[in-house]
Amino acid sequence: MAYPYVSEREVRLISKHLGDPHARALAAAKQNGRYEGLRKALEMSPDQVVDVVKASGLRGRGGAGFPTGMKWSFMPKDYAKPHYLCCNADESEPGTFKDREILRWDPHLLIEGCLVAAYACRARHAYIYCRGEFFEATQVLARAVEDAYADGLIGDDVMGSGQKIDLTVHVGAGAYICGEETGLMNSLEGRRGEPRVKPPFPAAVGVFGMPTTVNNVETLCAAAQIVLHGAEWYRQWGTEKSPGTKLFCVSGHVNKPGNYELPLGFPLMELIDDVCGGMRNGNALKAVIPGGSSVPILSAEECRTCALDYEGVSACGSMLGYASVIVMDETTDIVKQVRRMAAFYAHESCGQCTPCREGSAWVTKILKRIEDGRGTEEDLETLKELTTQMVGTTICVLSDSVAAPVHSSIDKFRNDYLALIRRGERVGVA
Amino acid sequence: MPDRKDEATKPVETVTLTIDDQTITVPKGTTILHAAETVGTRVPHYCYHAGLSAPAICRLCLVEVEKAPKLVPACVTQVAEGQVVHTQSDKSLAMRRGVLEFYLQNHPLDCPICDQSGECKLQDYAHAEGRFHGRGKEPKRVFGRDDFGGDVLFYGDRCVMCTRCVRFMNEVEQEPRLTVVERGDRAIIDTFFEEGLEGTNYHGNIVDICPVGALISKDFLFKQRAWDLDRTPSVCPSCSQGCNIELHARDDLVQRLKPRVNMDVNAYWMCDYGRLNYEWINRGDRIEVPLVRKEQGTRATGWREALADLLQRLDAGPVRVVVSPRLSNEGLGTVRALVDHLGGGEIVYRSERAADEIPLKGFPKLVRRRDLAPNVNGAALLDMERTGGEDGDGGLEAFAAHTGVLFVVGDDLSDQPASFGEGALLYVYLGTHPSEAAAHAHFVLPLTTFAEQEGSFTNHENRVQRFWPALEPPGVARPTWLVLGALLAERTGSRPPTSAAAAFEAIPAFGGLTYEQIGTRGARPAPDRLEPAGASTRGERA
Amino acid sequence: MTNPQGRDAPFRNPGWAGNTGEFDLTEAQVRGDDFVGDRPLAGGHPAGAPSYPYMLPEKHPDAPLFEGPYRERFEKILTRYPDKRAALLPALGLAQEVRGHVSPETMDRVGELLELPPAYVRGVATFYTMYNKGPVGRFLIQVCTNISCNLCGADEVMEAFLRYANTEAGETSEDGDFTVIEAECLAGCGFPTCVQINSRYYENVTPADVPELCERLRAEGK
Repeated sequence: MAYPYVSEREVRLISKHLGDPHARALAAAKQNGRYEGLRKALEMSPDQVVDVVKASGLRGRGGAGFPTGMKWSFMPKDYAKPHYLCCNADESEPGTFKDREILRWDPHLLIEGCLVAAYACRARHAYIYCRGEFFEATQVLARAVEDAYADGLIGDDVMGSGQKIDLTVHVGAGAYICGEETGLMNSLEGRRGEPRVKPPFPAAVGVFGMPTTVNNVETLCAAAQIVLHGAEWYRQWGTEKSPGTKLFCVSGHVNKPGNYELPLGFPLMELIDDVCGGMRNGNALKAVIPGGSSVPILSAEECRTCALDYEGVSACGSMLGYASVIVMDETTDIVKQVRRMAAFYAHESCGQCTPCREGSAWVTKILKRIEDGRGTEEDLETLKELTTQMVGTTICVLSDSVAAPVHSSIDKFRNDYLALIRRGERVGVA
Repeated sequence: MPDRKDEATKPVETVTLTIDDQTITVPKGTTILHAAETVGTRVPHYCYHAGLSAPAICRLCLVEVEKAPKLVPACVTQVAEGQVVHTQSDKSLAMRRGVLEFYLQNHPLDCPICDQSGECKLQDYAHAEGRFHGRGKEPKRVFGRDDFGGDVLFYGDRCVMCTRCVRFMNEVEQEPRLTVVERGDRAIIDTFFEEGLEGTNYHGNIVDICPVGALISKDFLFKQRAWDLDRTPSVCPSCSQGCNIELHARDDLVQRLKPRVNMDVNAYWMCDYGRLNYEWINRGDRIEVPLVRKEQGTRATGWREALADLLQRLDAGPVRVVVSPRLSNEGLGTVRALVDHLGGGEIVYRSERAADEIPLKGFPKLVRRRDLAPNVNGAALLDMERTGGEDGDGGLEAFAAHTGVLFVVGDDLSDQPASFGEGALLYVYLGTHPSEAAAHAHFVLPLTTFAEQEGSFTNHENRVQRFWPALEPPGVARPTWLVLGALLAERTGSRPPTSAAAAFEAIPAFGGLTYEQIGTRGARPAPDRLEPAGASTRGERA
Repeated sequence: MTNPQGRDAPFRNPGWAGNTGEFDLTEAQVRGDDFVGDRPLAGGHPAGAPSYPYMLPEKHPDAPLFEGPYRERFEKILTRYPDKRAALLPALGLAQEVRGHVSPETMDRVGELLELPPAYVRGVATFYTMYNKGPVGRFLIQVCTNISCNLCGADEVMEAFLRYANTEAGETSEDGDFTVIEAECLAGCGFPTCVQINSRYYENVTPADVPELCERLRAEGK
């Protein structure tokens, strides 16, 4: 099934059934192997499940890259308090669109992942926190959940094992910051989605004050597959420190944008030139954001040697983050795009911490002024200093996310800014 | 709040760390902010307040901790063994300077018209650690002025979003009227539309805890500059709770009241009723000089002449006295001593009593008591009887018609007719304010209010608390203890009290309690005496 | 009518991604309509009850809150959380489904039902973008203008909608049909420009598609 583009270089562990409407039905899903991983997990102890995931080296696919097995191992090893598993389906990072696809094409994979993780974390209740805008995808997921309940896959006696796990599909209401782990927990509790100070960590005090694990959709889907096929199986792809595959969301000025599941460590230029069919209109590459708008921008030169794993992208001066590759060609107006990104963060900042609340709006205003041709060279220094002041001073990293594209674009595309400042010329049109 | 008795008996685990090159040992669980205070460093902060939860959102208290990846907020980070903290390092100062710059970005240049000027934490921190020059060229966001109801005005432009006010209303008053609305740089404090703060009883405290001039008292709006005010520790006279307060005065007028910290009585708070009930202290219609009524008419005179005259007439008959629970312990004590010396007599007081008490749910020790006077317990300890109704009126029929010696001390008899005491052989009216019912008084002697004298009150749980004079007395008004103490001394041939301390310590009912023991925190007389003054200093910094 | 790509379809972007040649799913299949079917107003299984909020074209701002099947759905939502407070977001969404926006009176009533102070409910409701603070048109058109779509001409799509509806950004057209706003990333980045209209996603929208899209909305109500 071609959805919408498929490359033969893909290793479709999670994304196999994206684009197949028939795979949503429970019977078909089971035929595709869904819930076999859960069956296997239920035959092990929760700690053994955690060990398998630890051994696989799976790292969180929601931007931070924290080892998943280690995260699960932080949960208390008893049932004294109610534990919770939260699935973070609040996908709002610009450039990222993989979780929506999983939700609407292969919901049972996600449900299975939630159940496996809930079992491993000794949680009796799992919440899937879906982004509010995902109406249609959430309906598909909810219907799948109902089917799973009817089939005894969720509920008081999961697959006849005697384990009780409940699952609720919770819907957000439009706030990027609720994709942050502690912001999600606050939003789930019915509060303003403002991130919490850590410590205490979610595994100690999470939703409703109870031990909680929050995992990304893709992480949970990968975990289900890992438990089914084993840790070593997962390690046959990727690198030593970044094993396995990742759904790369490619967007921007390529011929074939879309989700591609590739082994970690895949070379960035091959992703653009081969898998995505090259730059549209044959234009030259100007810049790439490798991990969603919160990471530094890479210049075309830096992309040449960039390998798409956590270590490789760091070595090139950026971060893998969500692995959302935004490709910009020579027609791109960098200043406008950076301003748009800054405006996004200013809009989505929760407003608790002053550097982020004031800084994101201030930075946006300065960028707008530069874009309108009324900037000065001093503004560039101010922007760099302000963004430096915003890094590492706040509760969550949204503040750091504003700094990344602004600071890196001034460093690497200074001439674009200067053209506007000195001559009122916009470099690029898009 | 931890129970002090438990803490005293449990062995305390300690932690040793280094702050700003000084090695100290503090109890486990202390935050870096508090630990720094013990070495004399006050780390700047907004959102932290000792009486509220600590959300660590203002990001101003960031300090450098060696081996930590980022700067940490000192208000919530607990000390760890062997930690090395630098609160004044280049890194710390640079970070805090940066954060302050963000605070100033949207802050309006309102200092010339802002009441908070002179006691503003943004001014103080910016002056101490901020940038010399601002570089914000962008238009500032504007919220305008909002009337929150009650005594509070809200200048949204000045708000630094520390959320102390929201947390106070939620956690301490437990009337969740305030919230943060919107998100990001549109976020601001607001109420539920028009609901406001009406009907809440402690909202004045949010003006105190607001670090900037965003929350302003309507009562104090544009009244005085903070640096012109003289601040004097005192005790609130509006009910028997005895909240520790400060009188802020200028030009011999009380300009406002503020709470003073006392963890055993009122923590950091006071109620709105007491806070705004100070205008009577500023009343201009005061008795200023002794007045003596003779056949020829009433004449103003000096103390010496008036008291010499009075001295000769004290044995004119059985004694009846009306006192006021607004009198100090010292004043009431001398009344009791004088009456006893004259062979005894009935001493009564009237006092307004509210229908309900108004507790502060988040700090249950603090209650706006039913007795709306500061020294009801002082009067009770001296065996004085309450009379009259719940509104503080009536109950004086026998006194109005008394034919012997009638003293009225401190009660202004506002409900009594001009014929009061017309049949008394000796009627002495000592008071702060003139009264129609003093028309037949033979002597009208001027007294000072609590704000013009040193003295003490006894609160609802028999805690004696001292207050100090904030204002100059009008004319030649004197404290009650000085006037009656002199009379008594002449009668008994003993030395008159020459200080409020001496007057207090001469009262047997207080069991030998001394002013020194009372200090600024108060103490109970034996047998159930509390710890001596100084014990409750821990945890009091706001 | 044949669309510009030559395929036989009502028009080029009835909601699914692609039209890239080998792709031949129907709109219902892509949206999942055929799989989901009709979801009952009463919420179906409690596990899915909090996930309902629709943005419906027909709005009843004065409708009583949570009566009949909506009450049932509300009760089911309450059973899924250990704390009444946690039901606040789904409850506000449900209220918006019925009334079209969250007014002060709505906030007060929801607070009453969940035993939460009205000021608190206001604080939460204003935090989230999707709770409409005032009435909106029959169709709330949210155009993603964030970076991935912006690189591919989202600003022009936004302008096309504003031109067609003859209104300003954030305002409702005169006939009350369309409210057009800019949205942040809708997670449709591979299919620029992504537009959300009420509860449906429209992908690969170009300025040329806008008039046809809006005509269809008017005609079919969704």
